[in-house]
Amino acid sequence: MLEEAGEVLESVLKASCLPLSFLLFVPAVLLLLGPPPAAEAAHESTVYRMQQYELGGQPYGTRSAVLNTEARTVEADVLSRRCVMMRLVDFSYEQYQKALRQSAGAVVIILPRSISSVPQDVVKQFMEIEPEMLAMETIVPVYFAVEDDELLSIYEQTRAASASQGSASAAEVLLHTATANGFQMVTSGAQSKAIHDWLIPSVEGRLTGLGGEDLPTVVIVAHYDSFGVAPWLSHGADSNGSGVSVLLELARLFSRLYTYRRTHAGYNLLFFASGGGKFNYQGTKRWLEDNLDHTDSSLLQDNVAFVLCLDTLGRGNSLHLHVSKPPKEGTLQHAFLRELEMVVASQFPEVKFSMVHKKINLAEDILAWEHERFAIRRLPAFTISHLESHRDSLRNSIMDRRSQVDTKALTQEYQDHCGGFDEGHLQPNREGSTCRSADLHGSDADPGGAARISDGLAEQSAQAAQLIDKDSTFLSTLEYYMGRYLKDVKQHHVKADKRDPEFVFYDQLKQVMNAYRVKPAIFDLLLAVCIAAYLGVAYVAVQNFGLLYRMIQRLSLKTKQQ
Amino acid sequence: MTLFHFGNCFALAYCPYFITYKCSGLSEYSAFWRCVQAGATYVLVQLCKMLFLATFFPTWEGPSGGYDLVGVRGGGKGEHRILVAAMGWATAELLTSRCVPLWVGARGIEFDWRHVQMGLDSNISLVRHVAAAALLWASGRHDLPPKLRVPLGGLLVGVAYEGFLTGWAAQALSLGPWGALGVRAVGAALLGLGALRLLVPLLPPT
Repeated sequence: MLEEAGEVLESVLKASCLPLSFLLFVPAVLLLLGPPPAAEAAHESTVYRMQQYELGGQPYGTRSAVLNTEARTVEADVLSRRCVMMRLVDFSYEQYQKALRQSAGAVVIILPRSISSVPQDVVKQFMEIEPEMLAMETIVPVYFAVEDDELLSIYEQTRAASASQGSASAAEVLLHTATANGFQMVTSGAQSKAIHDWLIPSVEGRLTGLGGEDLPTVVIVAHYDSFGVAPWLSHGADSNGSGVSVLLELARLFSRLYTYRRTHAGYNLLFFASGGGKFNYQGTKRWLEDNLDHTDSSLLQDNVAFVLCLDTLGRGNSLHLHVSKPPKEGTLQHAFLRELEMVVASQFPEVKFSMVHKKINLAEDILAWEHERFAIRRLPAFTISHLESHRDSLRNSIMDRRSQVDTKALTQEYQDHCGGFDEGHLQPNREGSTCRSADLHGSDADPGGAARISDGLAEQSAQAAQLIDKDSTFLSTLEYYMGRYLKDVKQHHVKADKRDPEFVFYDQLKQVMNAYRVKPAIFDLLLAVCIAAYLGVAYVAVQNFGLLYRMIQRLSLKTKQQ
Repeated sequence: MTLFHFGNCFALAYCPYFITYKCSGLSEYSAFWRCVQAGATYVLVQLCKMLFLATFFPTWEGPSGGYDLVGVRGGGKGEHRILVAAMGWATAELLTSRCVPLWVGARGIEFDWRHVQMGLDSNISLVRHVAAAALLWASGRHDLPPKLRVPLGGLLVGVAYEGFLTGWAAQALSLGPWGALGVRAVGAALLGLGALRLLVPLLPPT
C-alpha cells in the first residue's frame, strides 16, 4: 500500500505527468484554503429627515431631501456645499445657524443611541431649539441619524480632517490628502414632493346614556399624533400618548359602568381620538364641520354638557385645567371643575391643581389647545394637561420618549379624572353610584391599565401625522381598543383641499445614507504622478532586461567552472 | 472616485503589459495573433477548471490555488514562445478577472486602495506568468542538465501554488493587504530569478 503510494508520488513528481499531479494536489490544497477576506463596504445608516410641511400656506422645516456632498464638521474653515455633521451633545443653535449661513450643502445631526443618557440641560436646550429650526427657512436637507460605532468613527475622522486643515505647510497638506479619508454622504432617495391626497384619519366611538332621547352629551377628546423636528423620531409618549391612553382607559372604565343599571348615568359619552392634532387640530376641525354643518342629527348638535380634551398628562405633579372662558356658576362645567378640585384635594393632596384661563387668539396661525376648536363653535370645552402653557416645547419634541413618561403620574392623573368625572356627572343618581365607582377604583383601575395601553401604542415608535394613514397598524390598534369598549366606532378622514390646501405633507422622511470614503482631486493627480514614475521605472527595467540576464549567465558560468 | 482614478488604476494595470509586448520584440515578430491564441487556450482551460470544481466541489468558495499548466505551443525561438504564451495567459487573466472589478469599482464613489493594489497585483502576475511559461518550456526540453531537474520540479510546484503560498504566508504573519502584495512581489521575483537561472543553459548564449 505504502509502496504503491510512493510510486504514485514519484510518478507525480516527475515533470512529464504534471497535469496528473495537479489533479491530485489541487483539490487537497483548495480545501485547506480559507474564505477570502470580506470586502470593505461603504457604511450605511438610516437617517430621518427633518419635517417638511406647509400649514396654512406657510412652509416649515427643510425644503429638500437630496444629499450628496462631502462631510465636514463645524470646525472646518469652509462649509459651503459640504455636509455638516454635528453631534447632539455638542450641538448649539449658533453653530447650526453658522453652518446654514455659510451655505452648507446639508446638515446631519447625530443623536445618541438612547436619549436618557444625554444630560438634562442638553435635552432641554435642544427642545427649545426644535421649533426655531422648523420655523427657520432651510433650503438644504437636514437629517438626523442615530449613532453607532461606524458613524462615530466617521465623525471623528471627519473632525480630525476638518480641524487640521487650518494652519499647515503645503507638504503637510499634501501628505494629509494622501493619508486622510474624506467621506461622501449620499442618500438614495429622490427629491421630496408634496403628497396631495393624504388622508388624516380620526376615530370616534360612543356610549349611550340611560333613559330618554335628549340626554346631555359629554365629549372626551385626545389627539393621537406626535410631533417633533423629525417625524420618524417623534414618539410623543407624553404628548399625546398619555392623553390617548387616558382616553382609552376612561372608555374601558365607563364601558364597565354602563353595563350596570345602577351605575348607568343619564349622559351620552362620545369619545374621539383625533388626528392631525399637531397641525392645528385638523381632525377635530373636520369632525366638527361634519357633525355641525353637514348632518341633521348628531350628538354634538344639541345638548352638549361639555367637551373634555386630554393633552399631555404623563408627567409631573401638577394638573391644569385650561379654559378659554371661566365656567359660570351653575353650569355642568363648573360642577365638574369643583368635583375635580375636591377629588384632588381629598385623594391626591400632593397634586397641584389650578385653572388656567387663556382667551382664544384668532390672530395666531395655530390654536393653542384643542378645546379652542370646540370653543370657537360655541361648545363648552376645556383641556386638562400637566403643562401650564401651550408653548411648552415638550409638546413638539423628539425628546418626548416613553422612558421619560412617569407611569405613576399617568395612573394617578387618570384616577383623578375618573374620580372627578364619575362623581361630577353621575350626580343625578349619585347616592347609588359613588360606592360603585369607589369599588371600581379599588378593583378595576389597576395601575398598570393605562400604562399597558400606552406602552402598546408608544412601542409602535413614531406616530407623527405624516406616518399614520388609514391602514396603519397604529390606527387599527386604536380602533380595536375603542371597538372593544365602545359602540359605533368609525373613522373620519380629512383630506386637504386641492386648490387651497390647509396642510401639505411631503414624503422622503426616512432614507438610507451611505458614507463613501473619498479622496480629494489633488490626490488623483498625486497618484497619477506616482504611477507615471513607476511605469517609467518599469520601462527602463524591461529595456535593460538583458543586463540582468547576462549577470545571471555569468553567475551560472562561474558556478559551473568551480 | 472619478474616471480619472479609473484611468490611473487602468494605466497601472495595463501599461506594463504594453511595455513588455513592445520592448521584448514580440511586436516585431507580429506575434499578436499567437498571443490571442494562447489567451484563448488559457480561458478555455480556466473554464474547464471551473466546471471541474463546480462539479466535484460545489461548496468551494475560496480562490483557486492551483495553476493551470498548458503546454507552450507554437514554433519559433524559445524565448519568443515563452513570451507569447506568458503574454497570452497574463492578458487573458487580466481581461477576464480584473477588467470588470476595475471598471465597476474604481469608477464608484468610494475610494479604496484595493484598486491600486489590483493594478500592482496584475504587474506581479505578469512576472509570475512569464516565469511559469519559462519553467514549463524548460520542463519539456530534453537537453536540460539532469541536476537541474529537481530545482525545476520545485519551482514548478512553487509557480503552481504561488497564490496559495503567498496568501497563506500573509495570513500567518497577519500582514495587511499591502504586506500581502509585498509577499507576492517577493515570491514572483524569486520565481522569476529561478526560472532565469534554469533558462541560461537552454538558450543560445548572447
